[in-house]
Amino acid sequence: MDLFFEQLINGVALGSLYALFGLGFGIVFATLGILNAAQGTYASWAAIVALAAADQYKLPFIPALLTGVVAAGVIALLVDQVAFQPLRRRGKDMLGALITSIACWIILDSLAGTATGHNSLSFPRGTYPSTMYHLGTIPLPVMQIITIAAMVAVTVGLHVLIRHSRFGAAMRAVGWDQTAASLGGVNPRYVVIITAFIAGSTSGLAGVLGGITTHNVSFMLGEGLMLKGFAAVVVGGYDDVRGTALAGVALGVLEVMTSQYLSSGLRDGITYALLLGFLLLRPRGLFGSLTYSRA
Amino acid sequence: MNAMQGILDFWAAYRSTLAFAIVNSFLALSTYAVLSAGILSFATVTYAAFGGFLGARLVLATGFDPMLTLPAAALAGAVLSYLVALIFLRLESHWMALASLALILITRVIVINIPVVTGGVNGMSVPLPVSLELLAVLIALAALVFWRLSVSWYGIAAQSVREDTAVASSLGIAPRKIQTIAFVISGAVGGLGGMLLAGALQFISPDTYFVNIAFTMIAGVVLGGSYHWTGVIIGAAVFTALPVIAQAIIPEFQDVANGIVLLLIMIFLPRGLVDPLSIRLRKNFQIPVARAIEDPSISKPGVVK
Repeated sequence: MDLFFEQLINGVALGSLYALFGLGFGIVFATLGILNAAQGTYASWAAIVALAAADQYKLPFIPALLTGVVAAGVIALLVDQVAFQPLRRRGKDMLGALITSIACWIILDSLAGTATGHNSLSFPRGTYPSTMYHLGTIPLPVMQIITIAAMVAVTVGLHVLIRHSRFGAAMRAVGWDQTAASLGGVNPRYVVIITAFIAGSTSGLAGVLGGITTHNVSFMLGEGLMLKGFAAVVVGGYDDVRGTALAGVALGVLEVMTSQYLSSGLRDGITYALLLGFLLLRPRGLFGSLTYSRA
Repeated sequence: MNAMQGILDFWAAYRSTLAFAIVNSFLALSTYAVLSAGILSFATVTYAAFGGFLGARLVLATGFDPMLTLPAAALAGAVLSYLVALIFLRLESHWMALASLALILITRVIVINIPVVTGGVNGMSVPLPVSLELLAVLIALAALVFWRLSVSWYGIAAQSVREDTAVASSLGIAPRKIQTIAFVISGAVGGLGGMLLAGALQFISPDTYFVNIAFTMIAGVVLGGSYHWTGVIIGAAVFTALPVIAQAIIPEFQDVANGIVLLLIMIFLPRGLVDPLSIRLRKNFQIPVARAIEDPSISKPGVVK
């Protein structure tokens, strides 16, 4: 039974990473209408910057973490303004933005490969808290607690921001129709920039925490998060952050339990089967709202 | 004499690039087949994997001539795509794109988990050389088919479905039927392309048919121009040659250079290199201008459409 609870906590912690990443990915899709293939590289870069800050500039844990997160936000902002803004001006075109996001993915991925020397690096001991708590006989690493807490805090924060604030209303309006939003007195450019920054830094947070807990800082980090985060967004419903968070955690638990009790080969299979199942049977996801659009 | 030698050297060095350009053209044409009916689908990768692994296994197991297995790979792709169409066409466009991405992810898991057919994680070597001549003949055939299709009843119907589904159905075109046909064409071309890719690479593994190939493909399509089949072939060729050229000039940052070129093209040439609309616009523009010179009373160019 101890093993079960230990794995449950592992699953929730892993799922929290997927959820955090998925939150960023989902905001871009819901507000900016872009399927952003470059989102994974924000996570990789956040981890790389945070590692450099902690290892080379000897920053303590929290400042290093924040440096990585802000860096990811800035990268996301730059990508948005360079790759998406020119297309946005010409009217909405999901295909075009997908292609430019692929271009940015290629660029940022290969630069990340160069930055890490094509190796998988890891945060050296002592640059992050490594205390081990115990819940009865179950070990509870402090990083897992931080990850889960960060996920809960970000989810609540984003939910309040999007659903209960003026800026959130503006975000939703821009996501629905940019022209209508600007007629309603919203400056879409400003909203888009802030949204891109929030999305980038949220995914970046997942990248830094993931880089620490999985001992893997490389361009592969972002790709792994990207595929699972994408699944979390679809299963949870991309226009509701609570759904994404819940689905991310559920996927993490499901994965850990599958490889513990069934077979590790099925691990990804179950996630993706669930993803496809949801797309076919309930495309709006667990919490997604019904939308109507004119032909 | 020296020049001759130079050409021969060039030919030897870039022969394989040309072969890959043709193979990628098949995959890009497969994506274009559905895109021309208004559907963004990445499922080509799945058809390619199916055709590739099935064809390669067939050759290895039975010792058939590869020429015989090529139609089998195309048929396998077509059947699979028909099944995919039955399920996917119920979805809205955005969801369809996402579902086809999910399909690629699942394809990889399946490929890994049936090592009897696919060799599992280790992949399998494919000892079937595909000659450049054969590839050239096949792409010429494919071009012929796509050309005839584009001017056929089906091609015109597909274009109208792409432009506006509601209008198309009010004109008596069944969008679902047209899109199903588009899927089947895409599947056949994709299955064939997958088999050719296996032959050109001589080795296939689960990673051969994965997300990156889908992205390269769609980039090739959009780069060349997603409104005409010639653009697709040109786009795939450019996107195959680009890394090779970048490798020769700046080996350190070849991927970065690729990405930047792709970005610039999308920003400055959003409709791709080959754009029937702009060609038509230019044509329409020239006639009235010529008439205007003869007859100064006409000063406005004709209605542009």
